[in-house]
Amino acid sequence: MMTGVLPLVGRRLVASVFILLIVSFLLFVVLHVLPVDPAAMSVPPNATLAEIEAKRVEMGLDRPLYVQYGIWLGQVAHGDFGTSIHFRRGVLGLVMATLPATIELALLSMIVATVLGLAGGLLLFHTRGTRTEKAIDFGSILLLSTPEFLWALFFILMFGVALPLLPFTGRLDPNMSLPAGTGFLLFDSLYAGRPDIFWSAVRHLIMPSLALGIAFSPTIMRVLRSSFLDVYQEDYIHLARLRGLSERRILLRHALKNAILPTLSLMGVQFGFLFGGTLLVEVIYSYPGLGNLMVDAVRNADLPIIQAVGLAYCVVVLMINTIVDSLYLVLNPKLRLR
Amino acid sequence: MDMLIARDVSVTASFDGGIVPVIQELSFSLPAGRILGLVGESGAGKSMIGRTIAQLLPPGFSVASGELMFDGQDLIRLPAETRRELLGRDIAFVPQEPLSGLNPVLTIGRQIDEHLGRLNFGHARLRRERALDMLNAVHLSHGADLLDKYPHQLSGGMCQRVLIAMAFASKPKLLVADEPTTALDVTIQARIVELIAELQSREKTAVVFITHDLRLAAQICDNIMVLYAGRPAEVGPARDIFSNPAHPYTRCLQLSNPTVSGPRRDLYALPERMPGLSAIKGIVGCLFAARCPNVIEACTKALPPFIDIEPGHVATCIRPEATKAIAPPGLQRAELPQAGQPLLEAKGLTKIFKSSHGFFRRTAFAAVKDVSFTLNEGEFVGIVGESGSGKSTVARLLCGLEKSGEGAIVIADRDVTDGGAVSRQHQRTHVQMVFQDPQSALNPRRRVGSIVTQAMEAAGGSTSAERLSRAEALLSEIGLPPEAALRFPAQLSGGQRQRVSIARALCVAPNILIADEIVSGLDVSVQAQLLNLLMALRRRRSFSMLFISHDLSVVRYLCDRVLVMRLGEVVESGPTEQVFASPSHAYTRALLAAVPPDDPTVIWNPRGAEVAAPVLTATL
Repeated sequence: MMTGVLPLVGRRLVASVFILLIVSFLLFVVLHVLPVDPAAMSVPPNATLAEIEAKRVEMGLDRPLYVQYGIWLGQVAHGDFGTSIHFRRGVLGLVMATLPATIELALLSMIVATVLGLAGGLLLFHTRGTRTEKAIDFGSILLLSTPEFLWALFFILMFGVALPLLPFTGRLDPNMSLPAGTGFLLFDSLYAGRPDIFWSAVRHLIMPSLALGIAFSPTIMRVLRSSFLDVYQEDYIHLARLRGLSERRILLRHALKNAILPTLSLMGVQFGFLFGGTLLVEVIYSYPGLGNLMVDAVRNADLPIIQAVGLAYCVVVLMINTIVDSLYLVLNPKLRLR
Repeated sequence: MDMLIARDVSVTASFDGGIVPVIQELSFSLPAGRILGLVGESGAGKSMIGRTIAQLLPPGFSVASGELMFDGQDLIRLPAETRRELLGRDIAFVPQEPLSGLNPVLTIGRQIDEHLGRLNFGHARLRRERALDMLNAVHLSHGADLLDKYPHQLSGGMCQRVLIAMAFASKPKLLVADEPTTALDVTIQARIVELIAELQSREKTAVVFITHDLRLAAQICDNIMVLYAGRPAEVGPARDIFSNPAHPYTRCLQLSNPTVSGPRRDLYALPERMPGLSAIKGIVGCLFAARCPNVIEACTKALPPFIDIEPGHVATCIRPEATKAIAPPGLQRAELPQAGQPLLEAKGLTKIFKSSHGFFRRTAFAAVKDVSFTLNEGEFVGIVGESGSGKSTVARLLCGLEKSGEGAIVIADRDVTDGGAVSRQHQRTHVQMVFQDPQSALNPRRRVGSIVTQAMEAAGGSTSAERLSRAEALLSEIGLPPEAALRFPAQLSGGQRQRVSIARALCVAPNILIADEIVSGLDVSVQAQLLNLLMALRRRRSFSMLFISHDLSVVRYLCDRVLVMRLGEVVESGPTEQVFASPSHAYTRALLAAVPPDDPTVIWNPRGAEVAAPVLTATL
């Protein structure tokens, strides 16, 4: 089953290095163009022009752009992402503290999107040619055309305000403290034997992950339905019927594994978008993740954080793509090398 | 005992808001251990009968009347669940396309195991043993390796063997084989047919054998039913039907098929096409009347009844005595232009494909090895061989679609081997290619008129009015009305599309046409129309042609000389008649032996194919 996966991961790792270099350089250039002066921001407000100039030289900002990039790259290679201008703390620590929260939210949203998408796709396919299909189809278009932030606001109104069932700010109830560990709350709380914290974290995640997941499910539904329709045209499905297999077995054993392949590659792309989509939802739910960190950093023109967060998004998306492609390879024997 | 009895079965479809008959008045009885051949062109309703037996009809189709008794039970009225129990157990199927008949993401072993599991063959180890026995029974060696393979790692013939093994796993009482050999090479076809016959006679299975090949059916079937537009045209003992056809359609089918032995004759080309579903409803009288050479007024008045010709031999024709008089037009070879100077020379052509697996492992595969031949002015040369013999690669090399590794190509006194811009221009003006599948060779978004004049458009300097008039001239030459210029390829039939493909190649008036399997996959009547068209064009235009085909009879009909290719090499070449009458290479003999003989009283011995076969199937 694993033939070809390791070479693929190897090739992807090599490619990732180049992609990261290009993305980091783009980030560097774009941020350089911004009308902010990091030197002026790094000194006390009452500093003189000469002091600012001295800081500029000290930070290396008077040197050519490619030299600056080289310096930055060298530091990054040693794990030094610099110090936040606003928070006056190490950027790496800030990112590592918020990244798990965002990954947790994104994964949960992806699970919601996948479950809804697969169930909806199967239902759409099962009811093909009936009025029910048209109704579900209409519903899926409605879901597709509603952006995630509208869902987020709608859920707050419904389950936070009108029916106050769920909390809608932060990651935990205010009287609880984060358990030490990986930063992945669901994991840490269970590891520390604190079901109360786990439950609170789950309650905080329900609305944001639903908002994101629902927004991303209809594409999965529709692609799965259409690939099912394609697969059911194939001879091997017809022949399976002629062998007397039950419809249920044909659907689950023969059609699903073939139909899931196009859906899977779509989900890889979707997850990238979804990870970016966490930003708005995090802001709406004051969820302390990468998105909120990024928004704060942009507001404060906190260049080191913007750079690091930008790279973090890039790394996560590359990783997800590699995982999805490996999965694709495992599921599709035609791609495996003989 | 009769295993399957059809009594006046009719199937209808709701179509364009009306009810259209798809199968009419179908009656037959098939005893255990016998083979019934269903013969006819596409659209005749052969496959629909297979689907009716399984009661898996397409949406909108339903059985309107009649009964289909299988082993004492009426399949049509049986509850769906009971019928499903019979499928795969007592009634087994062998499909047309073996490669797509197996699930691409499951191993062969998993698929066989699933089937055996359903048939209650005990626990996993027993099932595996049984699976190995089954693969052995269909003469597949390395069974244990095979179980771990995926379908795409096997050849079409091997997939078909696996499917046949699965079909016979339950010792079925009835087997429906729907064109089981159409997608396979001639030599493989012979062995698959033999295999089915072997297992069938061992298990005393009743077989419904669906095929478009009357010759093949005459060889292997006990009884034949010829179908036309969903209605039986003629039913009777196989040999009677073949040697004494009573229905004009049977006779025309026979005459439109070129032969591999005996005197050469021209082909009888049935005009037009079989009526489609939308047309059948409007026809009063005999469905075949519009194409029948013997039609009289009475034929168009009422549907002809079943008329006894001999005991057990019936035909739906009111003047069966006139059928014998149908004859093909006389042979017109004398008018053909004589071969002239050499026009195309291939010297020592070699093409090696390299493929890489990972970083270090590389394999090289010689698709074409040291092939040399000449094509003279006005000459038709055929290349025959099985798939993988390199014949298509030769075509692609000569058109410049592929660059050769070694050797030289000289076209009209110019060496074009270098593949430079001038050479390619030269090549394009002298050589044009017609591809196998017109469906994918024609751009679906362009109108026919613009497709056939693509070469003029690319060359520039022509107005659209000029191109349109040229398109109309080309279309009339290949026998399509001028209005066709405004159609899209999807609005044409398969045969018409292939005509358009030929017209496109003729646009620049090339000296050489290269045709790669251009009539395979077409019905015999359409094939005859196209072959006659090529003959007519040859008389009129005097071009040379390299005709690539796996069908020996077509090559014999069309070509003056023939090259036999095997595994990238030319193993035999010479004048067609000489090569076919006294083949000197064992491989050529094997190819010829694999074709069902033209005379059904001659005993077919495809075992002659044995000589060359081991190398061909050793793809594992």
